[in-house]
Amino acid sequence: MKRISYLTILFSLLLSATYASDFPFAAVANDALQQKKYLPDTGAHAVVLDEFGKTFISDDGNHMVMYYEYHVKIKLFDSQAFDAEGNIEIPLYKEDGERFETVRDIKAVTMFLDENGGLQTLELDPRKVFQTSVNKYHDVAKFAMPGLRKGCVIEYKYTVVSPFIFNFHDWIFQSDIPKVHSEYNARIPAIYNYNAILRGPLKLSTNKAELDRECLSVNGIKCDCSNMTYGIDNIPAFKREDYMTASKNFLSGIYFELSEYTNLSNGVRVKVTKDWQDIDRSLKGSEFFGSQIKRKELMRERIKDVIAGKTNNLDKAKAVYAFIQKNIKWNGFYSKYSEDGIKKALDTHSGLVGDINLALIAALKAADIPTDAVLLSTREHGLVNKLYPTESDFDYVIAKTTIDNKDYLLDATDPLLGFGMLPMRCINDQGRVISFEKPSYWMDIKSPQRRNKTTTLELSLMPNGKLKGTYTCYSLGYEGYEKRKEIKKFNTLDEYIENLDEKSTKIKILKSSVSNLDTLDAPLAEIYEIEIEPTRGTGMQRLSFSPFTFGQLTVNPFTLNERSYPVDMGMPADNKLVYTLTIPNDYVLETSPEPVAVALPLSCGRLVSAFTFDSGRCTYSQLYSFEKPVYSPEEYPYLKEFYNKLLQSEKAEIVIKKK
Amino acid sequence: MIRKLFICFVLLFSSYISRAQENYSVSAIPKELMPYASAIVRKDETVVFIREKNNVIYRYKFAVTVLNKNGADEGELVLWHNKSRTIKNIKGMIYDEFGKPVSKISERDFRDDNYTPNSLFEDVKYKHFTPVSVSYPYTVEYEYELFSNQTFNLEHWYGVGSEATAVENSSFIVSCKPSLQLRYKEMNYKGTLITGKDDAGNDLYKWSISNFKAIRHEPYSPDKINYLPNVRLAVNNFTYEGVDGSYSNWNELGKWINDKLLTGRDELSAATVAKVKELTDGINDPKEKARKLYEYLQNKTRYISIQVGIGGYRPFKATEVDELSYGDCKGLVNYMHALLKAAGIQSWYCIVNGNTHKRPLQADFASPDQANHVILCLPFKSDTTWLECTSQHIPFGFLGDFTDDRTVLACTAEGGKLLKTPKYTADDNREIQKGEFTLAENGELTGTLETTFKGTQYENRDYLLLESYEDQQKYIRKAYPINNLEIAGLSLKATKEIKPSINETLQLKSYEYGTPENGRISFALNSVNRLSETPKEIRNRYTPIYINRGYTDEATISFTLPAGYHADSEPLNTTLTDNFGSYHADFSVVGNKLIYHRKLQLKDGSYSKEDYDKLVAFFEAVRNADYFDVVLAKNK
Repeated sequence: MKRISYLTILFSLLLSATYASDFPFAAVANDALQQKKYLPDTGAHAVVLDEFGKTFISDDGNHMVMYYEYHVKIKLFDSQAFDAEGNIEIPLYKEDGERFETVRDIKAVTMFLDENGGLQTLELDPRKVFQTSVNKYHDVAKFAMPGLRKGCVIEYKYTVVSPFIFNFHDWIFQSDIPKVHSEYNARIPAIYNYNAILRGPLKLSTNKAELDRECLSVNGIKCDCSNMTYGIDNIPAFKREDYMTASKNFLSGIYFELSEYTNLSNGVRVKVTKDWQDIDRSLKGSEFFGSQIKRKELMRERIKDVIAGKTNNLDKAKAVYAFIQKNIKWNGFYSKYSEDGIKKALDTHSGLVGDINLALIAALKAADIPTDAVLLSTREHGLVNKLYPTESDFDYVIAKTTIDNKDYLLDATDPLLGFGMLPMRCINDQGRVISFEKPSYWMDIKSPQRRNKTTTLELSLMPNGKLKGTYTCYSLGYEGYEKRKEIKKFNTLDEYIENLDEKSTKIKILKSSVSNLDTLDAPLAEIYEIEIEPTRGTGMQRLSFSPFTFGQLTVNPFTLNERSYPVDMGMPADNKLVYTLTIPNDYVLETSPEPVAVALPLSCGRLVSAFTFDSGRCTYSQLYSFEKPVYSPEEYPYLKEFYNKLLQSEKAEIVIKKK
Repeated sequence: MIRKLFICFVLLFSSYISRAQENYSVSAIPKELMPYASAIVRKDETVVFIREKNNVIYRYKFAVTVLNKNGADEGELVLWHNKSRTIKNIKGMIYDEFGKPVSKISERDFRDDNYTPNSLFEDVKYKHFTPVSVSYPYTVEYEYELFSNQTFNLEHWYGVGSEATAVENSSFIVSCKPSLQLRYKEMNYKGTLITGKDDAGNDLYKWSISNFKAIRHEPYSPDKINYLPNVRLAVNNFTYEGVDGSYSNWNELGKWINDKLLTGRDELSAATVAKVKELTDGINDPKEKARKLYEYLQNKTRYISIQVGIGGYRPFKATEVDELSYGDCKGLVNYMHALLKAAGIQSWYCIVNGNTHKRPLQADFASPDQANHVILCLPFKSDTTWLECTSQHIPFGFLGDFTDDRTVLACTAEGGKLLKTPKYTADDNREIQKGEFTLAENGELTGTLETTFKGTQYENRDYLLLESYEDQQKYIRKAYPINNLEIAGLSLKATKEIKPSINETLQLKSYEYGTPENGRISFALNSVNRLSETPKEIRNRYTPIYINRGYTDEATISFTLPAGYHADSEPLNTTLTDNFGSYHADFSVVGNKLIYHRKLQLKDGSYSKEDYDKLVAFFEAVRNADYFDVVLAKNK
């Protein structure tokens, strides 16, 4: 009897020991070396045979540190995979000279069969690992796998030691190449509590949790660990498509967020994030968030002259917004916090997103305009989860100001953005409004602006065959923003016009006027007096004209047979063209463009063109719109066909003939 | 260029000795410098003291006014440094529009990083400073010194560095110990070179330019070094990584590279030598042996950039590349050279400037800095074969557009030899298309398109050879402007010869290719190869026309017409002939077939800038003809 129980204990110990363990290093099966193709994806240049990651926290004597072990074995089928899989870069985060991540225990081998079928193994020379500094926050350790050849199997492992225990290492299962198996083991001491969330379409094939007794000893106090293992088998390669947002949104992975920890000196449990109230409180109290927003006195002083004489809040807000846009130059980094305080950003005229937009919020509040901060996640950063409160899903902050019961979302990082417009990177699902007056809440981050372009051409046919008249183009919303950006690429407006003139050989710009270039809220208006050389038709007997003088669509951007991910255009769009041609009395109309009317299902887009002829005046109009910012994969065939119809309609020609 | 002897060195050096307060106000910029400028170099003074072989000091003082956002890059400073090239005494100042100092720049403000995305490792770091200013214009001024302990490579002077930047004043003063024997090469310098000696007997030179207007980007323009003023330096007696040397011409330089950098690095292990014997055993033709060994190299190695040592001039040993199976261009060329040597085949390590824009080594001025890449030359008796050793898939003996048609230096035991790599002419670089299409009454197009790519056009498709069928289809769908393109079959076959070719066979289908309307069907005659963009007009062009590489595209497409329809279009018959190229497009109807024929040839070379309007008109006419739509009408 006694004997049996002994065995059982031994068995269970063995079980937990084999549980979630790493696969052995440099042990490769012969059939993997001989494998010529990965059958589930025969086009793959490489396949991950096995991948294992493990993160745990330990006391290094002075601090708590996080260890992240990574181990992978990859089969390379052809040379296309050599650079992508054989040149390894390990990103390392650093804060300053004291707090930075380090990599150690790098081991790597290349295995292959020689001509006699014998297994050959080449090891990485540790002296051939190079550490480089990318910028203020990032280092990269690099190495190249030795002796790569078609059919070889590479394997490497390393450990990253990190002082940033609040950033528990996430695990992304899917990558550009398929994987046979990928597994992640997270061991979290009970003094820490993390929320874990699984994202993406793939289902876990392994999902186990158990308790490790007394896995960690801190100041002589022992504590238990949750030992969690997540695994997926047969993971397909992730294939990118055009017009899609961050691939992170579609990749299956496990993400962690610290919610609670125990203060070791007094044993008190500290909630890091439990609910939104906690996050709200911590943000408001934060030196580099809430305290910055509260710097009303500082901002009152700075904006005194800016808002002087402005009587209503909208004018004041616009002036403040323009002031921040012009006075702090964005240094290209995203953040939700200020780095060294908004005062420094204002004084040095430089800052990251947090500096600029917290300064904006503080300034608007200083002007007594009700304003809140909105945390959001940029498009490349992915979607935020709504299951539990988290702060780390956000990487950006903007301002939300309310004037006459109307909300405006503001981002002052780009001096060409009009008041109330957001850059494309910000338009991503929902953001969390952090208000000083009430609890935080979700709001949709949508651009109130559309991409809107209206063009009119008013032309007359001259006796010499030339067309003369006026071209007018109004660009609103994003269209205006993009046009302004294009114009600003030139040193002067004259140089822009000159370039435009030079680009189109057949069209001469006789006179030009561009207005509202610097009035960002107003439509950008371009009015050109133009003269067009005769292009088509021989002699003056029969002449044909295309209403699409300034270019037409010639190629459908959508070429796939089927689509897996949504088509994301960012915002709705409208395009309108009116083309009027006055012909002399001695000509008659021979062919006129056929009217077209096409719509996307559920009124998500439409295309309408019409033609009228009345006492020598031909009028062709075309209007098309996309009503949705994002189209689902199911809508893809319709979108493709819509473009096809659009292309065909732009072949429209007006043919006239001498009487 | 007039040469003047100028004895008074005090005057010569006056510009950098004087520390008078500069006037950097924007209003002081001569008005004629403003057009097309996004930045103005106010002052750019470089003084070089070549004191000893291992002691060179460069002193820079540089001020640029950034007029708008487009010129912001000109205000940045990036300096690379390593253990043999140190930067000292960096300081600077930012001035506002009125020339009033706004903020000081010190060395602390520089970032110092060493990550290079395309290299495994480079033993250099980059000091980097980006001025922050929220309003334009502003002026940034820098001063710094650079200490170098080698004289193999000396810094150049570019009087004008970039497009859209005007130069108010720029000067280059060089002082050199006479025993080192300075040589220089001026290009496009229209000013006066002043020479003299200082008290200590050093040779003095001064080049300078002033009030140089901004040049804007001009399509089909030559390499910048061929039209902007620049000066290159070299000394006859130099030192490099502690090794002394001397050369005054390419022959001596090639000899030195061979003797000091290459000799002894081409040894192979006995096992590898045996492998070479085994591979070449039974083959008599040395060229076939070389082909076999080249395949071995391509299968065994891959390219990885590693730059260690000054500028990275010495290749890794062949044994090391053998072991690691990777190397940079020098290492791989040296390894291939070693393999050939083991097979008793002679080959030469050649330094070259690799770029799709051809930049030959200057025959009359020897200096190593003109090259940035290495290839291998096999001087067979009857013909010379060239090998690019960094690619795993380029055909044996084919160089492609990266190193073709230019002067290179072969480094041999007998000394350096200037050689010319093969030229791929307009007739060599061909894309020949043959299509057999059928158009249905509902506008649907079906058929087969066969395309052959030759010469440098081989590279239009070679990257696709190794892709999966799925990815090949994805690329091809974008390569042809055929809407609703459905691929029924696709094959790519490469003939990897010294003159390689790729045959692409595409079986396609496109619904609504033609637009049927009121008993008429209109369709695009050419959707297999059409010119979509034409160069813009340039008024007051500065540079001559330069066509870097010629090509010939030819297409013959036959459309079987739907029964009961006939062509009812104006005829197309465009023929254009000019010194830079020719074009012809027409169609004819034979029975129920409409045959379209198109040929475009562009010839490489330099042409007068006065011909530019003709070039634009040529392309415009080509585009018009390429976008021709045919209309079919139903027989009555």
